Amino acid sequence: MADQTFRLPDLGEGLTEAQLVAWRVEEGGRVDVNTPLCEVETAKAVVVIPSPWAGTIHKLHARPGESVAVGEPLVTITPVEATQAEATPGTLVGYGPGAPESGIRRKARSAPAATESSSDVRAAPFVRQLAKDMGVDLAQLTGSGPGGRITRADVEAAASSPAATAPAATDGERRISVVGIRKAIARQMLRSVSTIPQFTEFAVFDATNLMAAREEGKASGRSMTPLPYFIAAVVKAVRAFPLMNSSWDESRDEIIVKQPVNVGIAVNTSQGLLVPVLRDAEQLQLTAIAEKSAQLIEGARAGTLPPNQMSGGTITVTNVGASGPVETGTPIINPPECCVVAFGAIKPRPMVVQGEVVARSGAWISISVDHRIVDGALATEFLTALVTELESISA
Amino acid sequence: MFPTMADVVRVVAADDPLRALFSPAGELTAEGRSRLGLDAAALRELYRNMVLIRRADQEALNLQRQGELGLWGQYLGQEAIHVGAMTALRTTDWVFPSYREFGMAMIRGVDPADMLTMFRGLSHGPWDPRKYHFAPLAIPVATQVPHAVGFALGCRLKHSDEVVLSTFGDGATSEGDWHEAMNFAGVFKAPVVFLCQNNGWAISVPLSKQTAGSIADRASGYGFPGIRIDGNDVLGVYAAVMAAADRARQGEGPYLIEAVTYRMGAHTSSDDPTRYRTESELEAWNAKDPIARYRAWLEQQGIIDERTVAAIADAAESAAQAMRARLTAMPAPPPGEAIFGRVYSNPPESFLREREEFESSLEGS
Repeated sequence: MADQTFRLPDLGEGLTEAQLVAWRVEEGGRVDVNTPLCEVETAKAVVVIPSPWAGTIHKLHARPGESVAVGEPLVTITPVEATQAEATPGTLVGYGPGAPESGIRRKARSAPAATESSSDVRAAPFVRQLAKDMGVDLAQLTGSGPGGRITRADVEAAASSPAATAPAATDGERRISVVGIRKAIARQMLRSVSTIPQFTEFAVFDATNLMAAREEGKASGRSMTPLPYFIAAVVKAVRAFPLMNSSWDESRDEIIVKQPVNVGIAVNTSQGLLVPVLRDAEQLQLTAIAEKSAQLIEGARAGTLPPNQMSGGTITVTNVGASGPVETGTPIINPPECCVVAFGAIKPRPMVVQGEVVARSGAWISISVDHRIVDGALATEFLTALVTELESISA
Repeated sequence: MFPTMADVVRVVAADDPLRALFSPAGELTAEGRSRLGLDAAALRELYRNMVLIRRADQEALNLQRQGELGLWGQYLGQEAIHVGAMTALRTTDWVFPSYREFGMAMIRGVDPADMLTMFRGLSHGPWDPRKYHFAPLAIPVATQVPHAVGFALGCRLKHSDEVVLSTFGDGATSEGDWHEAMNFAGVFKAPVVFLCQNNGWAISVPLSKQTAGSIADRASGYGFPGIRIDGNDVLGVYAAVMAAADRARQGEGPYLIEAVTYRMGAHTSSDDPTRYRTESELEAWNAKDPIARYRAWLEQQGIIDERTVAAIADAAESAAQAMRARLTAMPAPPPGEAIFGRVYSNPPESFLREREEFESSLEGS
């Protein structure tokens, strides 16, 4: 019996996607009808999806944390023979089991931007929907139906002539469908710049002591990147300035000061930027910070972190790259946080020490803060405290 | 000149056969239980039906999660009301339900797979109300209550001995339709039993935000009695509906039963109740589960044993699988029929042309 692919149904009256929270089965595992397959989170609820068939899990099509569009494959199951009759797709609702071609048209996600530019268009609602799905602009068509009405055939004819499809990719333009992490980043960044009035300050710190501490650690078998030192310094500075670890509550015009310091770590992955969260960092020693942050980064890159390890941050650290010519940048706050700290690469640079220009290790730090919560004076004090922390590191 | 509210309350209370059956807290008394007139087989049947409708409810939710149904509203935790009320009625009595009374329709004999076609987009009204004396599910809140009262008046005018059960939730009692229906029923002594399934929540609105008073006590304002009972006791619901229906049948007019229960599931498959209610509330009600509680009583009375319990569970499982198989094998009706088929008994020419045009436009899809 051929494999059956279960596509994500519309779980809640008009949803377009769901985020995979966790699988409850693995590839090669056996399932019965109604065995829980996975948990997904939609815009409305977290729900458990039970298996529509009995069989063996052939392939899981998404990883935890990923977004799956309605109608996209979720899991492929090799059914046991006994379910053959059952697996025959009947009439389907919401793109459930079976092949979507079997009666209900899938939403065409590739060409969503076709518009009805004229209200004079005469066409039945289903014809308008069809035109939208096929990317046909009804205003460009002449209807062949009664009274100039545009019919289904008109739309289909127009869709098959390449000139009429819109939006056409012309002159080297390429359209990329945005789903999943890219879409989440887009929303989050738009929310940041459109709701948070933020400003940025810059500083350079002397990393001589930090590098010495690293060398010493390396000699005693504890190899460490600069990141744990950065996180530890940020946590210490935050404890001196608790407002940096807060959120603005728009519904009540209040500032919520957070007790635990949950440090989001911006990680560049093949899927895009992810921000796993190091929880309760104020309670961790440097080595624990090093260990846990390394696990988080590895998990983010492998795509194995559950969503709850990528949310709940109270402040974020990022970097502009440990090598290369870029020194610093203006980071954007990760809402609803108040502050983001960006570190540059540590490298030898000319510094003035006791009146002499000497080459010393150093790096840029930039912070962006929510001006509703923090004024420039406080930001300066915080950044100064952070630099002092970093420069006074001892092995 | 005019009676005061106190007079009304006194007169109404004197005319209330249910008071003798229930404690002030709404529990069926020993006296009430002794008057049930149910033998061991009938008592087992109540249990069996509660298990059957719960399993069907779970299967419907599974089907929704698998994309086979567009929507599902669970009645998990409310089985005692469904089964108790339906068992108390005669099969000729009419039911005007809201949208969560799938279990009631099942007990009336409607095929559950047929019923689910409504949630699968295959049908607008899957059963013949005249055959089952069971009106279509009412999705808008409280619209069925005036329908029930009007129908009950019709029964009286026809000198039939049918009575009408009008079921609704706590949220419906805030609707104007509900008040109009209650008032009309009181004035004209309609043979109707109002059964409020007070499950504590109207989607995310708790009872405390729904009403500042008591739902049952409102009945006296309309000139007929009302009572609040334990809605998780199938025998209590049975006794209350039986007594209220008998009273209505004898021409004594309407009665309002407020059966207190809890919606253990979400409002519908689109809802996430963890966003507005607490785990501890759920646990407290889980301890009052109508099926577990009734089973414990039956075991204690020596009416049911483990083997019967297991056999009933197996039967419920097979019934759920049969429901799934039958539903998923059903063909879709022609779209023209669904949209145009039941509009006119004698369709005008223009309407037929429109249907033809619509159907030809779908050809090849």
